[in-house]
Amino acid sequence: MSELWVNMGPQHPMTHGLWNLRIKIDGELVLDVDPEIGYLHRGIEKICEYRRYNEVVTLMDRSCYVAGLAWEQLYFMASEQALGVEVPQRAEYIRVLCQELQRLASHLIWYGAWVQDLGLMTPFLYSVRDRDLILDLFQSFTGARMTYEYMRVGGVRNDVPVGFSDKCRKVMDWIEDRLKEYEALCDRSDIFLKRTVGVGILKAKDCIRNGVTGPMLRSAGVARDLRRDRPYSAYPELDFEVAIHDGADAFGRYRVRMEEMRQSIHIVRQVLDWLDKKPGPVLAENVPRFVGTPSPPPGLELYVKRRGFPKGRGFSAMEEPHGEALAYIINEGAEHPYRAKLRSPVFVNISAAKEYLVGYRVSDIPVIMGSVDVCLGEADR
Amino acid sequence: MTEAKRTARVVNHINEVDNTEPEVPFLEIEAVRAKEFIPVAKETLMGLISRGTDDVTLPFFNWAQRNSPYPLHIGLACCAIEFASAFGARWDGERFGILPRSSPRQADVLIVNGTVTWKLSHKIITLWEQMLEPKWAIAMGNCATGGGPFRTAYSVVPGVDKLVPVDVYIAGCPPRPEAMLDGVLRLERLIRERRG
Amino acid sequence: MTDTRSIWDQLLVKVQEKFKSDIISTSSRPGVLAILKVRPESIVKLCTFLRDTCTFKHCAMVAGVDWKDRVEVLYHLWSDAFKGYLELTLDLPAEDPHVASVARVWPGASWHEREAWDLLGIRFDGHPDLRRVLMPEGYRFHPLKKSFELREPEELEVKSRHV
Repeated sequence: MSELWVNMGPQHPMTHGLWNLRIKIDGELVLDVDPEIGYLHRGIEKICEYRRYNEVVTLMDRSCYVAGLAWEQLYFMASEQALGVEVPQRAEYIRVLCQELQRLASHLIWYGAWVQDLGLMTPFLYSVRDRDLILDLFQSFTGARMTYEYMRVGGVRNDVPVGFSDKCRKVMDWIEDRLKEYEALCDRSDIFLKRTVGVGILKAKDCIRNGVTGPMLRSAGVARDLRRDRPYSAYPELDFEVAIHDGADAFGRYRVRMEEMRQSIHIVRQVLDWLDKKPGPVLAENVPRFVGTPSPPPGLELYVKRRGFPKGRGFSAMEEPHGEALAYIINEGAEHPYRAKLRSPVFVNISAAKEYLVGYRVSDIPVIMGSVDVCLGEADR
Repeated sequence: MTEAKRTARVVNHINEVDNTEPEVPFLEIEAVRAKEFIPVAKETLMGLISRGTDDVTLPFFNWAQRNSPYPLHIGLACCAIEFASAFGARWDGERFGILPRSSPRQADVLIVNGTVTWKLSHKIITLWEQMLEPKWAIAMGNCATGGGPFRTAYSVVPGVDKLVPVDVYIAGCPPRPEAMLDGVLRLERLIRERRG
Repeated sequence: MTDTRSIWDQLLVKVQEKFKSDIISTSSRPGVLAILKVRPESIVKLCTFLRDTCTFKHCAMVAGVDWKDRVEVLYHLWSDAFKGYLELTLDLPAEDPHVASVARVWPGASWHEREAWDLLGIRFDGHPDLRRVLMPEGYRFHPLKKSFELREPEELEVKSRHV
């Protein structure tokens, strides 16, 4: 038998990012897999140690660029715990709104890119169009399409504008209709079913053993969703269902994400109802001084150093669109975090590649890796 | 002649009639730029191409090149998502003749959209050298222009112009899709003015 | 909810009794079930017990922290039954820190340990494949150590590859 190690990547249309999937193949059959990441390692954790708490937000946006607000919230939840700041209720609801809209945007572009790998070129245009509608919503209240820098320690930067709620509801109605189209395109297509059902199977036991989380785990039948199991922010007061499937294959992950999109629309509508009724502050008042620019004037530096910041550690966990993400911030009484550690779900999902890629064919690899939803920015940080 | 790594050394054995063993292997081409190749081809093919046809063929080639800049399908980081959005339904990029190609052999433009790390630098240079002349490079976004928000990081190349010769810089973090298309149109103007 | 909380409290007491010599101290913080400070020699024994008997089947994160005089390694484990995170922490000496690897207990922790080796220089004995994951092979430094300072790139001499 002739076996060959082949590089798929770093430049490959399948990879959606920069990583190298080294596969050992015998003809078309994949025998072994060795994923290699690190081509986008930008040292975010190290740079965090040199920036003030509010200045880190630019890095968090760019760590996972399709779901920037999710990582912003993750980092700020941990640093608020480390600094001892409480977030007002309206800010929590706005953060949840950002989360769910971000989940919709992330899953839409996942869908477009994945089916493009399978050969369907047109749904990419549809989902990018829908994603542009959501990015317009983001632009109306954060000011940017992709790298928002919207959240701050103690809340968010500004409130949503007047009239936002109506626009958002219209967009949600539109997307809900379009979801039916996307599902009709894929679920009733024999070729799609043949290519995705039974492909890339990772059973529940293997998922848990390998630390795989997110839609991959839920497609294997394990109903673990941190929004419901360990609720944070405003989730305890919201009503939604956890999407699970029992196929554990690429088709199952696709179904889980489509259902999550529906649940996100449901959550957004509840949040909008709440936001319409209850005005309030969006930024906490007891934030320690000088968590952001500008730095204290020369005379006050000693004052700040002597008063210092409260020391503490903050830990946050949230259900990011790709899976379970954790942040651990250590605060040693200075303006900068001492250590900011981020756990990325994609980092771990790629590490389990050997379990779900071996035994399939080379032409199944884009299908499987697409269903894993790889976003390199957070894996490499 | 530019620095050692970027010269074109076309060893031409047709003109050397002596029977000694050549010291360098036949046809060692490291990087051939279009402007240097055409004069050399004329010398070697001994008048089969006369200088007169330049005035007819070059404008035609130039028109074809600037109306179909095929970028390489590579997405490094956040700017790649805006690059992908530019080919969506709202800012249709293909109406400018921009069609992303998967293989560097078929691509004209290398749009570097994202942060370049030292680990990737070797691969970017390999991709650049695999692209055939004429080729151009666009640095899209702040990270490719000068390192961006990650300039002080230990693993980031401060600007992709340290690795490949860049023709157009697009600022922004990330630049909007309209800015990216504006950058490609600027490249088309550069090609038309034959400065590419 | 209160039921699982009381079950967890009882279980924690039992774990503390069983591993009396290995757990140095216990503390808590809102948001995690408990924080256990353990001796480095007994981490694999404790983790195997937690995985098999205490339903901590998911190793969420293995992180390293570089203090000037010591290196701290943190483990975060999740349990579906108790729906919470357990934090284990251990201290290693600053020169040549090494500890037994938990990659055989939870294969999901293997890449986290590779990253800790890559960025902080912590060796994990018994790891099946300890090599650099984020930095290129052959990189000589461990960037997240406090002795490694970030500098402006103008100070580096970067020769342009072309004219």
